[in-house]
Amino acid sequence: MALDIKEYNTTVQPTWCAGCGNFAIHVALKKSLIELNISPSETFISFDIGCNGNGADTVGTYGFKGLHGRSIALATGAHLANRKFTVFADIGDGGCFHEGVDHLINAIKSNYDMTILIHNNQNFALTTGQATVTTPKGKKMYAQPHGSPERNLDIDNFILNLHPTFFAKAYSGDPIQLTEIIKEAVKHKGCSVINISQSCPTYNKEMTPQWFNENILKTNTITEYDNQSFDQAKELLNTANTTKKIYTGIIYQDTTIPTFYDNLESRKGILSELTEEVKEYNIKNLLKYTNS
Amino acid sequence: MAKVIFQVDNNMYSNRTTIKIGGESGQGINTVGRMLNQALNRLGFFTFANREYPSLIKGGVASYQVDIADKKIYASAKKNNILCTLSEKSFHTYIYDLLENAIVIHDGKDVELSPDEEIFVQKNNIQIIYLDSVKIALEAGGIEIMANVVLLGYIWKILKLDVNILIEEVLELLEGKKIDIEAEKACVLAGYNHPSYRDTLGQDITLPSPSLSRKLLMSGNEALALGALSAGMRAFYGYPMTPATSIYKFIGETANETKVVVKQAENEITAVQMALGSMYMGTRALTATSGGGFDLMIESISCAGMSETPLVIVLAQRIGPGTGVPTWTGSGDIYTAVRAGHGDFPRCVISISDIDSAFTLTQKAFNIADKYQLPVIILTEKQIAEAIYSTENLPNIEKIEREISKGENRYQTTDSGISPRWIPTKGLKPYLHTSDEHTQEGYSTDIAQQVKEMSDKRERKLETLKTEIPEPQYFGNQDTEIIFVGSGSTKNAVLDAQAAGQNIAYLSYEYVYPLKTDKLLKLANENRRLILIENNQTGQLGKVIKEECGYEFKEKLLKYDGRPFFIDDILDYLNK
Repeated sequence: MALDIKEYNTTVQPTWCAGCGNFAIHVALKKSLIELNISPSETFISFDIGCNGNGADTVGTYGFKGLHGRSIALATGAHLANRKFTVFADIGDGGCFHEGVDHLINAIKSNYDMTILIHNNQNFALTTGQATVTTPKGKKMYAQPHGSPERNLDIDNFILNLHPTFFAKAYSGDPIQLTEIIKEAVKHKGCSVINISQSCPTYNKEMTPQWFNENILKTNTITEYDNQSFDQAKELLNTANTTKKIYTGIIYQDTTIPTFYDNLESRKGILSELTEEVKEYNIKNLLKYTNS
Repeated sequence: MAKVIFQVDNNMYSNRTTIKIGGESGQGINTVGRMLNQALNRLGFFTFANREYPSLIKGGVASYQVDIADKKIYASAKKNNILCTLSEKSFHTYIYDLLENAIVIHDGKDVELSPDEEIFVQKNNIQIIYLDSVKIALEAGGIEIMANVVLLGYIWKILKLDVNILIEEVLELLEGKKIDIEAEKACVLAGYNHPSYRDTLGQDITLPSPSLSRKLLMSGNEALALGALSAGMRAFYGYPMTPATSIYKFIGETANETKVVVKQAENEITAVQMALGSMYMGTRALTATSGGGFDLMIESISCAGMSETPLVIVLAQRIGPGTGVPTWTGSGDIYTAVRAGHGDFPRCVISISDIDSAFTLTQKAFNIADKYQLPVIILTEKQIAEAIYSTENLPNIEKIEREISKGENRYQTTDSGISPRWIPTKGLKPYLHTSDEHTQEGYSTDIAQQVKEMSDKRERKLETLKTEIPEPQYFGNQDTEIIFVGSGSTKNAVLDAQAAGQNIAYLSYEYVYPLKTDKLLKLANENRRLILIENNQTGQLGKVIKEECGYEFKEKLLKYDGRPFFIDDILDYLNK
């Protein structure tokens, strides 16, 4: 029986602003799960704090809305406990690059089999528009009447230089492409990172849908773009920087790196999940290892 | 230098013999100490071993002390019968901790004694022997590193024990390593048969008769790890911090056997978040840290409290705020554990005191976390975590209790405060855990009535938990006038003094929060002399007790110099 999007919804209505990119991101997320035939009770989503996390109770999967900046770390623990679940970490650009950037770096390093959705609206929106690492320098933000005094950072190059095994860019205004990307990210065996440019009509008024439409180029329209090539991915991001364009699509993928779990000597040949293994354990054989 | 006044009372040591190996970090004193301890336990003696060391890799002054007795002992004595020093600095550091007629084996050139030291040595009839253990090893056909077993052989001779047992143990410990067996044997014998030995050495050392039933040796951290494994812990997330690190070591080194997932996280926040994620999914995970790392975990503890996610954290205490004195003991984080985290929420704080309680209470901690869906903090101390205990066996394993149930709403209000919780499973109703205040369905809310209702529901769990928690345990004669009240390792020094014939009792708080005070108040009403004993500056357990029942201790024995309580401290206090 085909899954229905209603099964992924709850009775709670979203509280986002009209035109917020979060609507489309969550629709794309649900749609990708339907198309992959993954039911809500086989899905775990770790939500961060911020506008993205404010949609946690509108999604009918298993989930945990935890602490600001920590959704990736929490998701890794959930993933390792039961790999039968499809695991997502939902996080904003503020939580991801300010409060918890260490978790992003190490999740990429460890290559857990999960998907990180970065809702990048270029500001801390829920607290009414403070600057983040992606806010352009000089832009007037909360408590900064003369504009943000700091430069912004190139988070795409930052992510790519960590050699993620899956890195894509997407736009909330194109949920069809985003759905396809999320599906590929879920299918990818390893840590998938998607930087989603998200419209924020309240605090990022400059970047209108028109602006995005004029500045977005899709990687699949570039002839002979090989997303398995790290060099081409680097070049693409450099071109994006010099031409001030946003490329969406799968920027880079490496299918040769094993996941964290697959590298664990202790789990070789074990078919059960940690959640199935909680029972009294006889420690008799371990006593020879004490006083070490 | 001020004149030091010494009062050596050999009586309290009548039941034990103590040997201290001193030297610099990195000189191999742990190897000597460990081999000695293992060999003694092979003979069936009960021992208690404790390491003191600075927070550095090479240099400083470090020691490994082994106390030998004919029954279980869980604390060190302060003064020694035998001191074996590998550096001059350690000689000067530990010389005053010697008993009358004690023996010093100094590995190296003759040491120049200060006038005070000279007087002390004369007065106490201390005999000093100088050995060049490297030279002896080389002459016996060994190599430099075998100097360790030369010293062991010499100590063994003073103890008048069978050298063959020592050789067997040394070879067993070195099994699998590339060694020259004959040379090792020759070096042990060269130490054992060294011509400088004379019969007058160690004349008044009388070891109990060995039972020949080999004892188990393990550290508090190893017993704690074994408890967690017994309880079905399937994942460990750690970040190194003394004195918690050896929990990670034991679980990591046995992972191929236990098949657990072990992950060294990028920091303590990740470690605790991973534990939260794994516990939400329905397995059992553990993380362990010390004060600074625990501080980083505190927001997550509050999150576990609000989201009603089971969580078990080990807080291995050392002394002082900030970085403190990283390799020394204390129990100054009791109040942190009891109060950690913003907002009102229930939690459970358990304090272990030795290997038996480490093993049992860690299993109980998982049961409480699962059943009551709240954070449980296990308090240990450097003194318990890294000390080596000997025992015949560990307590029986605890039954796993989880109270997994089914229901419509994850945060359903109940009389007990405990809501139904089911393991996330395909086909079962999905639910959201949330750090937002929420409705019974798990949806965010700010409606006044719901906010209060949920807060009350969580608080009821604490009341329910209190009905399950025992009164503190009383050790001693029922009519004893003097009762020490404490938690953690303070128990061991008091029980040592008790075993040495002192008519004193100990009231042991294993459950520090929530805690029971009926028994304590009853004893107070009987006009018994209650003395709060704590390894911290402000009497933190006393504060928790006062908050609970208003009782204020009139007498407090507090020690916060990084050292554990010794039997000597208890007797000195009582003699005051």
